Amino acid sequence: MAEDLNGLKNTDPNYWQSFEELYNDPEFLHSHQDEFKEGVSDRLDTSEMSSISRRKFLALLGASAALAGTACSDYRDKGEIIPYNKKPEEITLGKANYYASTCTSCPNACGILIKTREGRPIKIDGNPDHPVSKGKICAQGQASIMSLYDPDRLKNPKKNLDRRFVDYNWKDATDEIIFDLMNAGNKEIAIIAHKLVSPTTKKVLDDFASKYSSAKIYSYEQFDNAVRNSAWKKCYGLGEFPAIKWNEAKVILSLDGDFLGESNNKIENARLFSDGRDVVNKKFNRLYVVEGNMTITGMAADYRMRLRPDLQLDFILSLINALNTKGAGIPINVGGYTLENLSKQFSLSIETLNTLVKDLLKNKGKSIVYAGDHLPEDVHIAVNLLNDILGNKIIYNFDSAPVSVLPLSESVEIKKLVTRMNAGEVAVAIHLNSNPVYHLPSDLEYADALSKVDTVISLVELENETSDFSNFVLPINNQFESWGDAKTRTGFYSLQQPVIAPLYDTRQTEAILLNWISGDSSVYDESIYHKYLMSNWEQNFYPALNSKLNFKQFWFNSLHDGVVYSKDKPESVGAFNIASTSGIKPTEVSNNFSLHIKESYAVRDGRFANNGWLQELPHPVSKVVWDNYAAISPKTANELNLKSDDLVEISAGKDSLQIPVFIQPGASDNSITIETGYGRKNGGTVGTGVGFNANTLINSSSGLTPWLYSNVKVEKVSGKYKLVTAQTVYAFNEGLTKDLPAKRGIIKEGTVNEYLKNSDFLHNEKHELESVNPFYDYTGVKWGMSVDMNRCLGCGECVVACNVENNIPVVGKDQVEMGRELHWIRIDRYYSGTPEEPNVNNQVMVCQHCDHAPCENVCPVVATTHSPDGLNQMVYNRCVGTRYCSNNCPYKVRRFNYFNFRDHFKGGYQESPVFALLMNPEVTVRSRGVMEKCTFCIQRISDARADATKDNRELKGSDVRTACQEACSTNAIQFGDINNKEEEFHTYRNHELGYFLLEELNIRPNVTYIAKLKNTDSEKV
Amino acid sequence: MSTDYSVEAPVVAGRLTIAQIEELVAKPMDTKPDKKFYLALTISGSALLIGAVCLLYTFYYGIGMWGNNQPVGWGFGIVNFVFWVGIGHAGTLISAILFLLRQKWRTGIARFAEAMTIFAVMCAGIFPIIHTGRPWLAGYLTPYPNQHGLWVNFTSPLVWDVFAVSVYFTVSLVFWYTGLIPDFATLRDRTTSKIKKTIYSIFSLGWRHSSRHWLHYEKAYVILAGFATPLVLSVHTIVSFDFAVSIMPGWHTTIFPPYFVAGAIFSGFAMVVTVLVFVRKIFDLQNIITIDHLEKMNKVILATGMMVGYAYSMEFFIAWYSGVQFEQFAFLNRMLGPYAWAYWTMVSCNVIFPQFFWFKKIRRSIPAMIVIVLFVNVGMWFERFVIVVTSLHRDFLPSSWGMFTPTLYDFGILLGSFGLFFTLVILFTKALPVVSIAEVKAVADGAQPTHHRGEHHD
Repeated sequence: MAEDLNGLKNTDPNYWQSFEELYNDPEFLHSHQDEFKEGVSDRLDTSEMSSISRRKFLALLGASAALAGTACSDYRDKGEIIPYNKKPEEITLGKANYYASTCTSCPNACGILIKTREGRPIKIDGNPDHPVSKGKICAQGQASIMSLYDPDRLKNPKKNLDRRFVDYNWKDATDEIIFDLMNAGNKEIAIIAHKLVSPTTKKVLDDFASKYSSAKIYSYEQFDNAVRNSAWKKCYGLGEFPAIKWNEAKVILSLDGDFLGESNNKIENARLFSDGRDVVNKKFNRLYVVEGNMTITGMAADYRMRLRPDLQLDFILSLINALNTKGAGIPINVGGYTLENLSKQFSLSIETLNTLVKDLLKNKGKSIVYAGDHLPEDVHIAVNLLNDILGNKIIYNFDSAPVSVLPLSESVEIKKLVTRMNAGEVAVAIHLNSNPVYHLPSDLEYADALSKVDTVISLVELENETSDFSNFVLPINNQFESWGDAKTRTGFYSLQQPVIAPLYDTRQTEAILLNWISGDSSVYDESIYHKYLMSNWEQNFYPALNSKLNFKQFWFNSLHDGVVYSKDKPESVGAFNIASTSGIKPTEVSNNFSLHIKESYAVRDGRFANNGWLQELPHPVSKVVWDNYAAISPKTANELNLKSDDLVEISAGKDSLQIPVFIQPGASDNSITIETGYGRKNGGTVGTGVGFNANTLINSSSGLTPWLYSNVKVEKVSGKYKLVTAQTVYAFNEGLTKDLPAKRGIIKEGTVNEYLKNSDFLHNEKHELESVNPFYDYTGVKWGMSVDMNRCLGCGECVVACNVENNIPVVGKDQVEMGRELHWIRIDRYYSGTPEEPNVNNQVMVCQHCDHAPCENVCPVVATTHSPDGLNQMVYNRCVGTRYCSNNCPYKVRRFNYFNFRDHFKGGYQESPVFALLMNPEVTVRSRGVMEKCTFCIQRISDARADATKDNRELKGSDVRTACQEACSTNAIQFGDINNKEEEFHTYRNHELGYFLLEELNIRPNVTYIAKLKNTDSEKV
Repeated sequence: MSTDYSVEAPVVAGRLTIAQIEELVAKPMDTKPDKKFYLALTISGSALLIGAVCLLYTFYYGIGMWGNNQPVGWGFGIVNFVFWVGIGHAGTLISAILFLLRQKWRTGIARFAEAMTIFAVMCAGIFPIIHTGRPWLAGYLTPYPNQHGLWVNFTSPLVWDVFAVSVYFTVSLVFWYTGLIPDFATLRDRTTSKIKKTIYSIFSLGWRHSSRHWLHYEKAYVILAGFATPLVLSVHTIVSFDFAVSIMPGWHTTIFPPYFVAGAIFSGFAMVVTVLVFVRKIFDLQNIITIDHLEKMNKVILATGMMVGYAYSMEFFIAWYSGVQFEQFAFLNRMLGPYAWAYWTMVSCNVIFPQFFWFKKIRRSIPAMIVIVLFVNVGMWFERFVIVVTSLHRDFLPSSWGMFTPTLYDFGILLGSFGLFFTLVILFTKALPVVSIAEVKAVADGAQPTHHRGEHHD
C-alpha cells in the first residue's frame, strides 16, 4: 500500500522518520491518511475553523519557547519557558521534522526539504525526489532561510501619505485599492511580476484580468535567456532552448557561457557536468572554455582561452570555418574568419584551437557547444547550427523540456508599458515582489513613469527601490509561509507548503489578489489561497493524473513528496531552419572596451542583497566580499596605470558609473566585467549601499544585448575604494611566493593521460613517517572526509550550508578586512602559471581533525580535545581564548570570536530576537572570546548515534551526512567511517589520487584530497 | 689609559664615608618630593591612564579592539609580554648571579635592577591575562582542584609559563625584600616621623644589625641567590617554549632557549642602563653608581648583543641547511617580505649599533650610551614583533595568509605598560632606597679588613 501512494516510494528513511511507521502499518495508514491530521484538515473545513488553528498555535508555541530558550544573552536568566502541556503528535522535542516544498526564490523552483524544529524552519536542503534538482539547492536557496527571519521584513501594510509611509491596516488598504481598481475604467491596470512558475498563480492572475478587464500582466527577469530562446525559436520554430545532458558530452565547448555558475539551471548543470569527472569510474569529459572573465566554469576548464565577449561571433564563425576545411560541411557563410587570424590577433593558443577542432570532429554526437546567455542572437544561431550539424542534438534533453507558465514580457512590451504610464494611461501599477525601478534599464526611467500612475502598489517582503515610489506597500508572506505550486519542466509539478504561520501581519500575494478579485475586503481569510490552490488542483490537474487515490489522499501524499509526476510530453523539435543563419552579420569591431554586465554569484540580481550570509560569501573567483567591482586584465590595468581598488569611470553611451577595479588574472584584455545586484538604495539594513549599482549602465537599445556592450570607455579617476578579499592576494608568478602551492605539495595535479598510464603517479615516492606520539587505536567508527578536487567548482554552496547549520554569524566587511571572518569552511583558490593565463585550483578547507592535532597539545586548559571517534573537538565553555591553538594550526581553520559578532555587526542587527528563531538549537551559539571551528557536524553524528542506539544497531559512517556534503551539488565532498571497508566512502578515502595536505608535518590529518586531473592531450600539467 | 690590574679598583668613588653613603641614599626618603618628581609622575601617570582606558574598552568590547586576526592570533599582547619578561631579566642576574660570582660592583646597581625586574614582570604578567578572549576565566590556567574534575594541560607551554613567571616573580620579590630588610632598619633608625617609623618597623622585622642577624641574613641571601639563579635561565627558556614547542616555521627552533635568555639579558641590561643614567644624575649618586658600573654593563650588552646576532644568523643557516621549504620561506620572508622593515630595524638596533661599544670612549660616554641602549630597547621590542607577527602572518597555506595592522588600542596599551613601569619606578625612588645601603657600605673603602691596612692607592 505504501508503494501505491502516488506511485512513489518512500526512499530515504533518514528524512521521513515520522512516517516510517505510518507507511509500514496499513491500518494506521487507513485511519491517518492526512499528513497533518488535525492541524491542516480542520482548516479545510471553514465551518469548523477556530480563530487560532492548532497548527498556528504550535508554531507560536514552538517559536516562543525557542525564542526564550535561545535568545537569552544572559545565560543565568532563563526567562519564561513554556513547556508543551500536551505533546503534539507530530512534534517530538529534539527531533527535527522535514517538510517537502518548493523554493521560489528564483524561477528555477527547485524542490526543497525544510527542516523544522519545534515548529520553526531552520534549514533548507534539496528534495532528493525532485527530478531536476535531485536533493541539491544553490547557495541562495540555502541562505534564504535567513530572509524568513530578516528583522527588516515589513510587518504590516503601509500607505504613502505625502511621501511619508505610515502604518496602515489591511482592511482600509484593501478597500481603497479595490476602489481604485474598480474605477480604473479603460485605463490599464499593470501587474509587474518576476517570472511566474506557478500555474495556479497564473490562474489567479487570469481571474484578476477577467474581473478587471483592463489588467495586463508583465513579467521580467533581469537575467533571463530570452536571447537564447529567441535564437532557438528562429532555428527550430518552437519551444525553448532545452536542458543539456552534460553527462553524455565527451567534449564541451563553452563560449562565455558560465553554465556552472549562472543561476539558470545551475544545479542540474553542475550535477550532470560533474558526472563526467568521475575518478572512481575513470570517466572524464573535456571542457573548453573561451571567455572574457574568469568564471566558475572557466576555473573548471581543461583548456581555457581568453577572448573579449563581443568577439565570440568571430570565434564561432572561425571555428566553423576550421571545421569546414576538415570537411564538416556546415552550411553557413563564414566569410574571411579563420582561427589562425583570431589566434594571432588575440594570442589564443593555436595548438589548443587545433585540438578543439580535432576533438569536435572526433566526438560528433558526443560533444556540445554552449554560448552564454548574454551573447547576441547571431552567436546562438551559429552555435545551434554547429551542434545540429555535428549531430550533438542528441545531447539536448528533449524528455524534460523547460515550460513557461507565462512567457516573459519582451522588452518592447515593457517599453510600451512605460510609454503608457508616461501618457497617463495606467491607473494602477501592481508590483508582485518585483523591483523594476532597480532592475529595468536606466533609459526607460521607470521611476519617473511611476509618478504618472494614479495608484502604485508594491507587494513586497522587504522595502525596495520600487516600493519607495508606491502609494501602498503591502507586506507579503515569505516563501516558507506560503502555499503554491510550480511547473518548470515537462513531466512533473512541484508543490509548496507553508511550514510556519506568518510571523507578522502579512498575507500571501495570491490571497491578496483573490481578495481584490472578490471586490470585498471582508471576504479575506487566511486559507483563501490554500482553498483556491486545492480546488484548482482538484479540478484541473488531478483528473488528468489518473491517480488511484481519492483527491484528499492524493493531495496529502503529493504534499508529502513535494513532487507530482505528470504525463505531459514536450513537443518534438523539427529540423533546423537554415534560413535563420542568413541574418548573421559580422560584429563591428571597436577599439574601445567591451562591457559585460552579469548577475552576482552571491546576491544574484540584488534580490538577496539583504542576506548577510550571501554578502559575506567570498566571490568564487576573486574572493571579494561585500562588493562588486570592474574586473580587468592585468595587461589592461598596466596600460591604464591602474591598481586594484583604483576608481575608474566607465561610460557606455550617456550612462556612466564610477567603480573600483579589480585586477582579475585570466581576464581578457580591453574588457570589463561587472556584476550587478549591488548599490541598492533601499535594500534593507544589510544590503543598502553595498557596492555599486551597475544597472545604471544598462541601456535598452544600445547594447549587443542588454548585458553586453562593445563600445565602452574606461577612464581612471582620482580616489580609491577598498575592496576586501577573504583570501590574501600575493604574487603567484614571481619572487619568493612563486608557485608556492605546488612547491609545498598543497595542490597536486596531473593529467588524465598521465593517470591512465600510471594510476599511482602521485605516490611514486613513499615515505614512512615516524612519530614520538603514541598511536591511539581507533577501533570503532572513525570519521574522515574526502574532497574530490575534480568535482569541486568553488561555488560556495557548502560555505552557506555550513553557515546555516552551525549558526555562523555575519561579521561585516570591516572584520573580513581584518581577517576575522568566521566561516568554518572555506574554499582556497590558487592560481598558477602567469597572471594572463592562469591555471586555477579550488580546495575546500575545513578542520582536518588531525590524529596528532597540533592545536590540542598547546591549549593550556584542555579546551580542545580528541574524541575516540577521531574528532578534534572544541569545548567552548572551557575555552579561555589564548588563540594558541589557532596559531599552531597549519591549516588556519580555527576561527576566533574577537567580538560578540552578533552584537558588533550593524548595531546589533543579529541580536534581534527574531534572529534567535533561525538558530540551530543543536549548535551552541558562541560567545565573544572563544575559539571555534568545523566540528564535522558533530550534532548530526550525535543524532545518528542516538538513532542507532535506539534501533539497537551499530552506527555506520553512511548514517551521517555533513551539511557541506549534503549541499554540494557535485558531490565533491564525501564523509564517512575510515574504518569501514564496505562503504562507498572507502573508495574515496583510499583512492590512488588521494593525498593529505602537509602530510610531512606528520600530524595525520583526516581529510583526503583527490588530486585534480586536467584532461588535456599531454601528460604533463 | 693604563690600568693597574693588580689592585682592585674601588667600587665606590669619591671616598665617601659610611655615613655619607647612608645620607646620600636615604635623602630622597627624608625630603619632600619636588616639582620635577610630580612632573615625571604626571607624565608616566598619564601614559598609564591611557593604557587603562584602552584596556577598559578591550574588556568591554573584546580583543577585536586590537589588530589581532586569523592568521596572526598573537599580536602586541604577546610581543609586549615577552618584551617585559626580557626586561625583567637584568635584575635577578645582577643581584643573584653576580652575587654568587662575587662581583662587588653589582652592589651599586643591584637594588635598582631588582626593582626594575619586579616592575617589569608585573607589566609582563598583565599581558597573558588581558590578551585572552575571556580574561575573567584566566583562573582556568591554574591547576586548582574543582568539582568538574578539570585540570590544566601540562603539555601546553602556556601552563609552563604560568608557573615560570609566577615563581620568578615570587622569588624575585622575596629576594628583593630580603635585601631590603637591613635598609628598612636603617631607615627606621633615621626617621623622625612616627608614621614612617611604624611602617619601617613593620617591614624591618625587628632587625637590630646584630651579628646573629647578619649571619642569618647572609645565609638566607646566598640561598635565595642560589635559588634565583636557575630561574634567570628558566623563565625565558620557558617563554621561548611558547614558540619553540609549536610547529610554526620561524617558531619551531631549538636555538630559542639560549637565544631568548641572551636576548633577555641584553634587553634587561639596556633598560637598566637607560634608567640608571638618569637616576644617578637626579639623585646625585654618581659616586655610588659610577661610570665604571655603566661601562661594565655596556660590556655585557655588547657580549649578549653578539650572542643575539649569532642566533639570528644561525637561524638562517639552519633554515637553509634543513632543506625545509617552509623554514626557508619563513626566514626569507622576514628579510624580504612585507615586514622586512621590522626585521631590518631589529638587526640594526640589536646587532649593528651595540658594536660601537667596542670603543672604550663610547662605553664611557653617557650621551652615546643613552642613544645605543635606546636603540637596543627598540630593537628588542621589534625582535619579539618579528618572531610573533612575521612568523604567523605567512605560514603553511598561502590561502590563509594575512597582514597584522595594530590599532590605536594596541599602541595605547603598549604605552600604558611603559606608564605602569615608570610610575612604579618613580614611586620606588621616593619610597625605598634605590641603592642597597648595607651592601654599599660593605664594599666602601675601609669597610672590610684589608692587607693594605687602610692604605689607598690613588
